[in-house]
Amino acid sequence: MGCRGCGAAIAVRQAMEALGSRTIIVIPASCMATIGGSGLKTAWRIPFYHSLFECAPAVASGIRAALEVQEIKKINVVSWAGDAGTADIGFQSLTGAAERNEDIIHVCYDNESYMNTGGQAGGTTPFRAWTSDTPSGKPTRHKDMLAIMAAHKPAYLATASIAYPEDFITKLNRAKEIKGFRYIHVLAPCHRGWGIKEEETVEMARLAVECGLWELYEIRAGERRVTVIPERKIPVKEYLLRQQRFRTLSEEDLAFFQAEAGALNG
Amino acid sequence: MRQLLNGNEAAAMAARLARVEVLASYPITPAAPAMEQIVRFIAEGKLKAKFIRVESDHSALAAAVGAALAGARPLVITNSQGLAYMSEVLYHASGLRLPIVMAVVNRGLAAPHTRFPDHGDAIAQEASGWVQLFCENNQEVLDTLIQAYRLAEDERVRLPVMVHYESYIQSHTREVVEVPSEEAIDRFLPLYRRPALDVDNPQAVNVVTGPDLYMDYKHQQDKALQGSREVLREIDLAYAGLTGRAWGGTLGVYRLDGAEYIFVTMGSLASTCREAVDMLREGGLPVGLLKIRSFRPFPREEVRSLLRDARAAIVLDKNIVYGSGGALAREVRASLYGLARGPFVYSYIAGLGGRDVTSEDAVRIYKMVEEKVKANLEPLPYEWYGIE
Repeated sequence: MGCRGCGAAIAVRQAMEALGSRTIIVIPASCMATIGGSGLKTAWRIPFYHSLFECAPAVASGIRAALEVQEIKKINVVSWAGDAGTADIGFQSLTGAAERNEDIIHVCYDNESYMNTGGQAGGTTPFRAWTSDTPSGKPTRHKDMLAIMAAHKPAYLATASIAYPEDFITKLNRAKEIKGFRYIHVLAPCHRGWGIKEEETVEMARLAVECGLWELYEIRAGERRVTVIPERKIPVKEYLLRQQRFRTLSEEDLAFFQAEAGALNG
Repeated sequence: MRQLLNGNEAAAMAARLARVEVLASYPITPAAPAMEQIVRFIAEGKLKAKFIRVESDHSALAAAVGAALAGARPLVITNSQGLAYMSEVLYHASGLRLPIVMAVVNRGLAAPHTRFPDHGDAIAQEASGWVQLFCENNQEVLDTLIQAYRLAEDERVRLPVMVHYESYIQSHTREVVEVPSEEAIDRFLPLYRRPALDVDNPQAVNVVTGPDLYMDYKHQQDKALQGSREVLREIDLAYAGLTGRAWGGTLGVYRLDGAEYIFVTMGSLASTCREAVDMLREGGLPVGLLKIRSFRPFPREEVRSLLRDARAAIVLDKNIVYGSGGALAREVRASLYGLARGPFVYSYIAGLGGRDVTSEDAVRIYKMVEEKVKANLEPLPYEWYGIE
């Protein structure tokens, strides 16, 4: 029941290939919490709980504790949240779970705004992006969740993009075998929020990587490893200016983003 | 075995006897020692449980919800600001029909900031769908926490339960408590498993629900809460069979025979009023006490039948619903509605923020009411004892 071209639904379908049926998933308020079913029907074939907004990682911690005390083993406990449920309203429970090294996988599916409530700006919304409550473009840069979560020194950390499903699935398979707190942040564009066509969702998730603004890497036992080197490198404007949300970008803004992405020939 | 325990220690002992499996609790004054004692039991191998050192009160109840959904027996301990903070989650617990038990060490809500007791934190959540049981003393704390699990987990109920006792007056005051044996409680409280999140039987919990279904869920919930009165009575009797102690199920009575004036109250004030009743009876005055144990669900029929022939009910509320009055007085008046000739109900707000209410105060209140009754003065909606 997602929109046609929904990046979130693609991310979940890809993830389920790795996670499998011995998985319990907790999803806080978000589009993804609602897409899976309503009334008396559901598309979920694993145990699913739509939790309150702030606390998916806390709920997941409780689930894991319950499984452990009952000695139920080999179950993936996943908290699957959008950017709000991860970086903003959900951050408290996320950082707590990370600090406690809870044996859960937290996946942030990031469409860089609060799409379920109509597309307002959030912590991961990029600099200068148009959203429904930043009509002149967001005046601040995005919150660097990867740096923040890396500072917690989790058991595993990775970025992903729905345009690189093999990489995403490999990372989830790797994460499954590791105990402790695991964090995966997957770029999952929302065509409505980004102002692109329905059929451009996956392409945009690829351009983000190809222009260098979204790097695909993982950190394991303190070692950082790039997992995908894109086949080509493009200037950031080929990614940004395809999206209506960046229509007011100035040359100066583009230079800012290009600097973020690194030099073209770097 | 008799032990000298304060309310927090009694709660911790109950948790151990009830074989709580997941403790999800955030420290808050003055409830933290109860949590710490349970953590010590776990560390010493006296309780096989997981302690989730959550980073907030909201997460404490959220984690307990997760644990209950996955089939374990959780406990949360909190009060006041913590309860208010996690209040959002209360409605998930009750709406999802989860057998979570919460010990609430009643404390006044800020502002202004206080660490001392009143029932404001509990009353603020009267509509949350949780069973709310108030304890008079530390023995009752221990007994009620254990009973709470059997009540919550009963197939006919399946609702979360709050067990209330007061900060400092009870939490930090030692009393003699008879601690039942592990064997007795194991017989009373069998192991319970009903996971909603089970990989062998997957379900989607809390999907988006429309107007065609929402109200029916709520109706089921209310029916269960109303029906829990009878289950609580059963459980209390079963517990009495085991320990010799009965708490009256939903309420307790003291010297109601021939009572024309009846104190009605909850929590530690019940203990205080017992003394006042004895003092007044010694003077030949026909006074008794109706102690409300179960505020939710409220025992309307019992209250109506026990008060209907009295001249006056003197309700002491350790809470205020601003702009309305004392919550207990409101329930009592509703219970008496429609009686052609029922008692006058005098309502007093007393003891907020830990202001002391002694048995002499209770006697003083009785005397004020006695004068008004004799002068045929109708009760005011409510009065603030010691202020107006």
